[in-house]
Amino acid sequence: MSAVVELRGVHKTYRLGSHVIPALQGVDLAVARGELLALTGPSGSGKSTILNLCGLIDSADAGEIRIDGRDVAGLDEVQRTLLRRDALGFVFQGFNLVPVMTVAENVDYPLFLAGVPVAERRERVAAQLSAVGLQEHAAHRPDALSGGQRQRVAIARALVKRPKLVIADEPTASLDSVTADQVLALMRERGHAEGAAFVIATHDARLTTRCDRTVALRDGRIE
Amino acid sequence: MKWLRFAWLNTLRNRRRSLVTVGIAALGTAAILLAGGFALSTYHALAQAAARSSGHLVVGRPAQFTSDEDTPLQHGLDEVAALRTQLLADRAVRQVLPRVEFSGLISNGDKSTVMMANGVDPDGEFAVKGPFLAMTAGEVLASADRAEVMLGDGLARSLKAAPGSSLTLLASTTDGALNALDVRVKGVFSTGVPEIDKRLVYTDLATAQKLLNTTRVSTLGVFLDRMESTAPARARVAALFPSLTVQTWLDQAFFYRSVRELYNRIFGALGLIIGVIVVFVVANAMAMAIIERTREIGTLRALGTLPSQLLHTLALEGMLLGGAGALLGAALAGAVSLLLYLVPVQMPPPPGRSSGYPLTIELDPLMVAATVLAMLLLAMAAAALVARKTVHTPVVDALAHT
Repeated sequence: MSAVVELRGVHKTYRLGSHVIPALQGVDLAVARGELLALTGPSGSGKSTILNLCGLIDSADAGEIRIDGRDVAGLDEVQRTLLRRDALGFVFQGFNLVPVMTVAENVDYPLFLAGVPVAERRERVAAQLSAVGLQEHAAHRPDALSGGQRQRVAIARALVKRPKLVIADEPTASLDSVTADQVLALMRERGHAEGAAFVIATHDARLTTRCDRTVALRDGRIE
Repeated sequence: MKWLRFAWLNTLRNRRRSLVTVGIAALGTAAILLAGGFALSTYHALAQAAARSSGHLVVGRPAQFTSDEDTPLQHGLDEVAALRTQLLADRAVRQVLPRVEFSGLISNGDKSTVMMANGVDPDGEFAVKGPFLAMTAGEVLASADRAEVMLGDGLARSLKAAPGSSLTLLASTTDGALNALDVRVKGVFSTGVPEIDKRLVYTDLATAQKLLNTTRVSTLGVFLDRMESTAPARARVAALFPSLTVQTWLDQAFFYRSVRELYNRIFGALGLIIGVIVVFVVANAMAMAIIERTREIGTLRALGTLPSQLLHTLALEGMLLGGAGALLGAALAGAVSLLLYLVPVQMPPPPGRSSGYPLTIELDPLMVAATVLAMLLLAMAAAALVARKTVHTPVVDALAHT
């Protein structure tokens, strides 16, 4: 199965004043199409850095990153933005929904950005909301929903454009255990249904059992 | 349209802040329009007064406008009747009024004082002067009157003259001799300028010419159908009389030009200051809104929104705030203008004047449109300026913003 995202010998360091902090030290990683990959490890182990690099919101100092076979090193900011728009989805720990938009408008936003025709957008948004069980909340604002419902909206937003890869940073950290289980089950089901790979950073050991594969990180290296 | 809706929704996030911003933009716009409208109505009133005083066009011999006379009417016009007939043939000309301008002494027998006199065709002259000459006693001169005068109220007071009083006019004739003529006061007037009212005398043309022993006139005042006819009519009249000089009311209106220059500078500076204040207010409101939404901007960037798209929607947000303020300000200025029309307010006399004037605000549609558009563009530019840095912040930093 071809890799949706592939990291080869990736290094990343951060500077804090005069201190140089190695975040990733020669990481090799490949995520297959439709795979649910959990990244685990203590704080500072490099989970978020890998997510940022895979999500094209940060750049590696060394090594090679390929998204759907395409080397991203030479891409300028606009090209990276357009690749994010077309191929990547994001699920954030804090949901990061736009509070002034309704649930339907939040889910619709990536399709609007991609220039999808209005009629098709309407259909796809309705289908996604139905799939995550929120069709009756389409006209509600995010602040009228529970934490679990908001994360389901975020999952619908991430998947509505049929991305190849979804980046999820601690998607269950703000949820109680029952809701977290439901959300993870939904991500697994929807990911497989849409053919999207998930890279999920998590501290939650229970979550890893539901993923296809778990990669443990320590001090910027894969254990 | 989605961007505009998004911008509109964003303006509703912090309604109090948006209301304050719109309110300040509205007050700024109203202030600019009221000041501009006041200046405009002043310009129009002064232009009308100047045109009614001198005529839209003033025709005379070139030396009349460029050099002083050695003797009265040295540079005056002859064959006035023929000139009038030719001028009245022009389609835009409504009236042609001859004037004899001279100076001399006026005496009540006990006291003599300097006068600046105008010999005019009274029926035509005082019909076109309209409200710009106020009678304070007696009656207006008529064309059939002979050896009668109208005095400025300051001059009448100085000579203790009233309607019916007898006075004597003394002046040099066109050949340099001294001549005197007994006249009767028919009326007393005020131009609203005390310095002029202390010296000015109107008499009929025949009396003035008899005193000066001439058939000449100083100039011909040409009155047109409307102000806008001035430039084309001047060109036609100048072509018709190449040996004469044709000036417009604007050439003669020193006071109008001075006031306009002064007001343009004062109100221009005022508009600039208000514009800067509005820019700062919108920029401040947008800066606060953008800082609060840095994380959200990071999210939108992560989802694939280009910085230019974010800049666009944030500029639209500024445009909505500035535009709402500008429209509200225009409505406010319109309401004040209407209120002043319905409930007139009298302004105190300006320096050098003895009478006040009604405060009027003339809102020219072009001025209103230009001001609203300028406010809108300024607000957009202010919003875009403060948003520029944040929309280019690295996504990972924007998402980490707390």
